[in-house]
Amino acid sequence: MSPTTPAALSPYRALDLTAEIGSLSTMVLAGLGVDVIRVEPPGGHPTRKRGPMLREDEASSLYWAQKNAGKRSVTLDLEDEADRERLRALSETADFLFESDAPGAMTARGIGYRDLIERAPRLIYVSITPFGQTGPKSTWAASDLIGHVSGGLSSLVGEPDRAPLRPSVEQAYNITALNAGSAALIALHARHLTGRGQHVDVSMQAAMANTLGNARLYYEMDGIITQRAGGARAFADRATRIIYPCADGYVAFVRIPASMKALHRWMAAEGGEPRFDADKWAGMSIAGNVLPNDDEVTELESEIESFFAARGAQSLYESGQHHGVMICPVNTMQDIVDSPQLAERGFFDEVDDPALGRLRVPGAPLKMSATPWQSRPAPTPGQDQDQVLAAATDITQGA
Amino acid sequence: MTSNDVPGAHVFDGVRIADFAWVGVGPNATMQMAFHGAEVIRVESSNRPDTFRNGGPRPPGVNNLDASAYFAKFNRGKRSAAINLAHPRGAEVARRLIATADIVTESFAPGFMQRIGLSYEEVRKIKSDVIMCSMSMEGQTGPHAKFRGFGLTLQATAGVTGVTGWPDRSPVGTGVAYTDWVATHLGIIGILSALDHRRRTGEGQYIDLSQFEASTLVLDAGVIDAANTGRVARPLGNRDLRHAPHGVYPCADDHTGSDRWVAIAITSDDQWRRLALIVDRQDWLESDELCHAAGRLAAQEALDEGVARWTSTQTVGEVEQMLQAVGIPTHRASNVRDAHNDPQLAHRNHWWRSDHPVIGEMSYESPAWRLSDTPPPMPRRSPLLGEDSEYVYRELCGYSEQEFQQLIVDGVVE
Repeated sequence: MSPTTPAALSPYRALDLTAEIGSLSTMVLAGLGVDVIRVEPPGGHPTRKRGPMLREDEASSLYWAQKNAGKRSVTLDLEDEADRERLRALSETADFLFESDAPGAMTARGIGYRDLIERAPRLIYVSITPFGQTGPKSTWAASDLIGHVSGGLSSLVGEPDRAPLRPSVEQAYNITALNAGSAALIALHARHLTGRGQHVDVSMQAAMANTLGNARLYYEMDGIITQRAGGARAFADRATRIIYPCADGYVAFVRIPASMKALHRWMAAEGGEPRFDADKWAGMSIAGNVLPNDDEVTELESEIESFFAARGAQSLYESGQHHGVMICPVNTMQDIVDSPQLAERGFFDEVDDPALGRLRVPGAPLKMSATPWQSRPAPTPGQDQDQVLAAATDITQGA
Repeated sequence: MTSNDVPGAHVFDGVRIADFAWVGVGPNATMQMAFHGAEVIRVESSNRPDTFRNGGPRPPGVNNLDASAYFAKFNRGKRSAAINLAHPRGAEVARRLIATADIVTESFAPGFMQRIGLSYEEVRKIKSDVIMCSMSMEGQTGPHAKFRGFGLTLQATAGVTGVTGWPDRSPVGTGVAYTDWVATHLGIIGILSALDHRRRTGEGQYIDLSQFEASTLVLDAGVIDAANTGRVARPLGNRDLRHAPHGVYPCADDHTGSDRWVAIAITSDDQWRRLALIVDRQDWLESDELCHAAGRLAAQEALDEGVARWTSTQTVGEVEQMLQAVGIPTHRASNVRDAHNDPQLAHRNHWWRSDHPVIGEMSYESPAWRLSDTPPPMPRRSPLLGEDSEYVYRELCGYSEQEFQQLIVDGVVE
């Protein structure tokens, strides 16, 4: 980073004590310039052993590299009072503290919100938990899967003849962490007004309950319980198909009225003979009152199916979009790595990871013209111990 | 500010957002700022209404642009000005509004704001320290910049769909506009970071948010793994690579009229032993293989069957109670009715009531966070289309009453 282009949040420091449910929040803040200090137990944070691994050995976690990019690290044993005191001193140098222990666990160790705010009144203390700090389920055991089902999203995901489903990457944790990032910055702006920090209580269940689209509204207004519909939009009592197989994978296409004339032109331009009535389908609103019957839908979908089946996903994407059709490939992780769009925008960065060597990493999730995102590697355990704790010791001795 | 607000509750008091964004991501982001005190002016037009104004649910038989609860969900706490941007004078009104704004947001297809003379380069000539945030599908530049989509399809481009499904079937995706809930937060975080930077330096800036790029953040190590090893993550159903049993299992009928499923995630050897005791499986307790995660992962097919056989004899409430009592991560697979009535969400007062002259009284979601010292007051209801036009044209843009009436006659205010 050249000194003339500081990151947006470079004056601030965060202490990061989170598990998987929270570590993305501080990763984003680190990319925006916050000095994020990972506080790890002796021997390193447990997620350092979490796969996928770059090499055969247990010390090459790509999960760690991704979720802790740009952070620094100190090692503290929070079961030990001397180290807890170091944490308290450190909190006086920090603007944020992020933690995800069970409600009450930090307080039991004398490092809860009330304990720290006394010494560090400007500290924004962000607690990220499955259900929130209080309430009938606040002590319930949970995991990412529990986040999906407790907020209701799983009921809209999956095949009708099988169980409700979660995505196979930990979306409940990640969405919760992003909510915590937004909340922390709102609290930062509040501090500009009040001069004081505060306790931010983030709930995974609430974060997931906010992903239900309009399905809960349909229950409240019309009593409809929207159900999972396979590769289709879960929409009140009518599902609309999204996923279609193609020659080398899958594509996503929704028969919204705005796409139907373009689809007809595209199929004709590719040498097909589309039989469906483009004007009629363009006049049908998915949400409105003019609806096709099941036979019409089946006929249309089978026509689309045979057109897609003869072509590859990326080529359907390029040619369909050039004809104005809202179609997308169902990208694999490799397709994302190979994306010409991401390449042209310079999305991928390279960093020199102290443990893993040169790594190709996903770069800025948003492009800020004056304060660009910083891609930096994840830390080794305790790599910044002396430097960070020396500053905290000065404070303790001064106090 | 009303008298019963706590000091600092209007965190963004004095911050004005000229909000040209529409549909999900942009309006959801600016609404969170409206909750915390920003004055958000939705720039709308009945000629090209927000897609969600035509969405549902809506009260039976009411088909005007103010009847959609889906629009209300994303626009509480805001004002609405009718400005027809297709009219030659529409952009002039927009420019006057921008001159009073701190933040400009938009989510049109790239190129639209340029065409009406409101690119960032133009906008900063009107307001030099403005923060402008564009929230498009794939960013403002690049070969796919103008490709169209929305959250239902973009989740496929962004990789979420491909890892959501059963391993023996097609991927299914999430059934909702999933990436909207991701990109929203990158929008908020970007804007609030830029606002903080401006506060310290006086410098505004442009934020080019690609919903595709933002959404790669939630793929865990999927992208970094493919980029450095060529491995490609696949959908696993409800299984987990590290833990077993880990799934969503059928339950006995509890006479609520819903099909009932319960999620159980065994994440430690201890939890496994407690589960085996409750299910009363001596063979599981005695097995040396099953007392470690690796052994359970190898046997997960049989374990899933065994767990399902037991849950099928219990109601979902009984399973929750028995397993949570011994600290096993367990929860019913809530449907929308369960979420609506959930006692924990009720405890947090998660669903905020809002009365609306066309929609009536409904509840809508609140933020997933609670702030101890500066909780926001209940937001104003979602605005009718153009409800605040007079305020915006007269007080903010400085048109005289006569000019305002002429703009109505000319078709700019619609």
